[in-house]
Amino acid sequence: MLEIRNLRKSFGGIEVTKNVSLSLAPGERRVVLGPNGAGKTTLFNLLAGELKPTSGEILLDGRPITHLSVSQRARAGLSRSYQKNNLFEDLTIRQNLQLAAAAGKGRTTSLLRDPLRDRELAAIVEEVAEQVSLSDMLDIDVRHASYGNRRQLEVGLALATRPRILLMDEPTSGVGPGMIKGFHHLLANLPRDLTIVIIEHDLDLAFDVSDRITVMNYGEVIFEGTPEETRGNHLVRDIYLGNWQADA
Amino acid sequence: MVMFQQTRTHTAVCLAILAALLLYAVMGGYFAREIVVEIAILAILAISLDIVAGYGGMVSLFHGAIMGAAAYGYGVLTVKFEMHPLPAAFLGVALAAIFGTLVGAIVANTAGIFYIMATLAFGQMAYTMVFQSRWLGGDDGLAGLPRFDFEAIGIDMNDPLAFALFAIVLVILVYLAAAGLLRSAFGRTLCGIHSNEARMRALGVSTWIPKMRALGTSSLLAGIAGILAAQHTQYISPELLHWTVSGEVLIVVILGGLGTLTGALVGAVAFVALKHGVGGYTDHWHIVVGIMLIAVVLAGGRGLFGQCHHLLRQRANRSANATGDGSKSHA
Amino acid sequence: MSESGFWALQLLNALQYSMLLFLLSIGLTVIFGLLHFVNLAHGALYMMGAYIGVSVAAATGSYWAAFLLAPLAVTAIGAVLYFTLIERLRQAGPMNQVLVTFGLIFIFLDLVRIGWGDIALGLDVPQAMAGTARVLAVDYPVYRLFIIALGLLIMAALLFVLSRTQIGAMIRASVENAAMASAMGINVQRLFVCVFCVGCALAGLAGVVAAPVFSASTGMGISILIPTLIVVVIGGLGSLQGAIAGSLIVGFLETMGAVLFPQFAAILVYVLLAAILVIRPKGLIPARG
Repeated sequence: MLEIRNLRKSFGGIEVTKNVSLSLAPGERRVVLGPNGAGKTTLFNLLAGELKPTSGEILLDGRPITHLSVSQRARAGLSRSYQKNNLFEDLTIRQNLQLAAAAGKGRTTSLLRDPLRDRELAAIVEEVAEQVSLSDMLDIDVRHASYGNRRQLEVGLALATRPRILLMDEPTSGVGPGMIKGFHHLLANLPRDLTIVIIEHDLDLAFDVSDRITVMNYGEVIFEGTPEETRGNHLVRDIYLGNWQADA
Repeated sequence: MVMFQQTRTHTAVCLAILAALLLYAVMGGYFAREIVVEIAILAILAISLDIVAGYGGMVSLFHGAIMGAAAYGYGVLTVKFEMHPLPAAFLGVALAAIFGTLVGAIVANTAGIFYIMATLAFGQMAYTMVFQSRWLGGDDGLAGLPRFDFEAIGIDMNDPLAFALFAIVLVILVYLAAAGLLRSAFGRTLCGIHSNEARMRALGVSTWIPKMRALGTSSLLAGIAGILAAQHTQYISPELLHWTVSGEVLIVVILGGLGTLTGALVGAVAFVALKHGVGGYTDHWHIVVGIMLIAVVLAGGRGLFGQCHHLLRQRANRSANATGDGSKSHA
Repeated sequence: MSESGFWALQLLNALQYSMLLFLLSIGLTVIFGLLHFVNLAHGALYMMGAYIGVSVAAATGSYWAAFLLAPLAVTAIGAVLYFTLIERLRQAGPMNQVLVTFGLIFIFLDLVRIGWGDIALGLDVPQAMAGTARVLAVDYPVYRLFIIALGLLIMAALLFVLSRTQIGAMIRASVENAAMASAMGINVQRLFVCVFCVGCALAGLAGVVAAPVFSASTGMGISILIPTLIVVVIGGLGSLQGAIAGSLIVGFLETMGAVLFPQFAAILVYVLLAAILVIRPKGLIPARG
């Protein structure tokens, strides 16, 4: 469904993405693991179109999207949530979701219909709010919302466009254990035909939700496999030395 | 706050101002009617600027030139080509819209200070072109512009009262058009872009297109002000396109309240009142304008209506919070 | 006059105009690059330099007194503006800065009208430079050659200071990353005030230098502001090389354009501006790539 072939990215003389190749099946749940600085967010930026690769290709359903802009890729069904909240700060949570839902349906150009009064969009907003547990918070200004709620909204925005492939960059960063459980729950309830790639640090979450795991370090993929295979691999263990042996 | 919402306060203030203008025109003499038209022209310009600057977040410094483009389009067609005023007016407005759309396309990928500087420059370009054109009358301008002819329905547009009432009607129509625009999918998208352009792009919106359209639509409305101005004095000169005019429109919007739409009306009334008030004492109106602008910005930048509305909202929020709610974390 | 003589004349005129633009744009661009402050009143300071120069010359009978004192006076005005308004607005975001400095333009416009009236005022060229000299096979006014020489001298001096001295390194570091520079011990605040004052001094200098050629008029502030802004946008905000390139391009385009395409001369530079905004919105040589 999504294929990355020999992707490279250099800034000046420094190569930050080294020959990354990846293949995702429709509906697959992939987690990308790796220490800080491994190039995971850069990979997402390349996938989403915010960075242009130095060489290599990205294909969505067999179609090359390497030279498409951010908005073109989004319209093709690719959606993304950010590690640092990237919200519409001066609006309410409801309005945030409404904008995203309207964009997802392409209802952004009409001079007549008001998306804030659109019943179909309102239904999507209700649904997404339910999924990210924000149903009671819809009329709060984002400015006044808690960090946890804003993180939920961050994911909600990405979901509200009803994407076909969802990229989530450290969705649980900075939130407490209660919310992480909530996130498990959220993932479990997402449509199974939605392809999801998650950058994560939380290993429990990674092993729990993923079909396959990609491990990156220093800009390249050093391992890819099932959660079991990953757990057993010595290269990976070297990176996360002692991390899960203590927990296991 | 960024999304447009016509609250009861908005409507109350709008109606109050319109009623006051109506009364003033009907009860007052010739001079009162001139003032009402002056306010109307400024209000229409301010409404159009508020769309791009207040709601779109794109401060533009050439609305005087846009108005001038429509005025000159109308003037040339009626005086030089003896076209009937009604189609000439439509074409004048169209010219303004095209001018605005073109500039909008050029500056769509710039932001902040570049955007402002670019619009200032293009406005000055238009001014220079008109000023240097012998055919357009150059410094002397064009005289003898006709007004609309509504004799058929018994209205004499040469009557100052009729013209003043016509001006008020145009203000109402432009306000309603702007409100409709801001409530549409296009308008909501524009506000979204103002709030977070990068995220809008990530959601699938090619942001340069709505930005260009916003300036184009704003220019169309500004063009209406241009026609009104041209018909009012029945004379046009390059001064209409001068940067000080664009500056004054911006000041009116800021004075009334950026991003409130009603603030445009409030600002126009306040500005013209001050101008005629102060103008009686001194020739040096520009100093007052400059000080006003700086004062409003330093005082928080919300403007007369904006500040009132803000205080009312704060009071409403405080009583809402007092009855519980706030934001609860689910963590 | 011969053909080549005509072109030599245009070349010199273009160079002279470029130098004037350079003096103004370098102040504006470095103030933006370093302080992130949009100073639309820069043109007004230029205008003040011209008018103050006229008054000093009238009072003392000496051009050189004006040449020395006008930039100093404008620097003083700039310092007052800095400590009363500009420092407060540095965090305020570009729109508020534009609005306030725009307000200042209005204020200065009328202040000048009050102080000096509406009629354009002239300033006499110093006796020593009253004649012409033979340059490139044409007789060119010595004073205008002086402007060219002055501009080139300042250009060279600034290039030297920015690339070879410690203070230049501090400025460049602060333009790239003020927070980091500050963390490394550079007194960024003091640098800001210095740079701002130098920028104002250059604007005032440009004004007094231009007065004998263009006369001091109330419209001169805005009529030079637009080309200066265009120079800064074309060259790239915050960059000295950009200001040099931009002022040469705009200066030559306007001067040669007026000769070659008199019908379109007025809009040529705007077409260039439009092209740059579409193709390279960051300018030709931006300070921060």
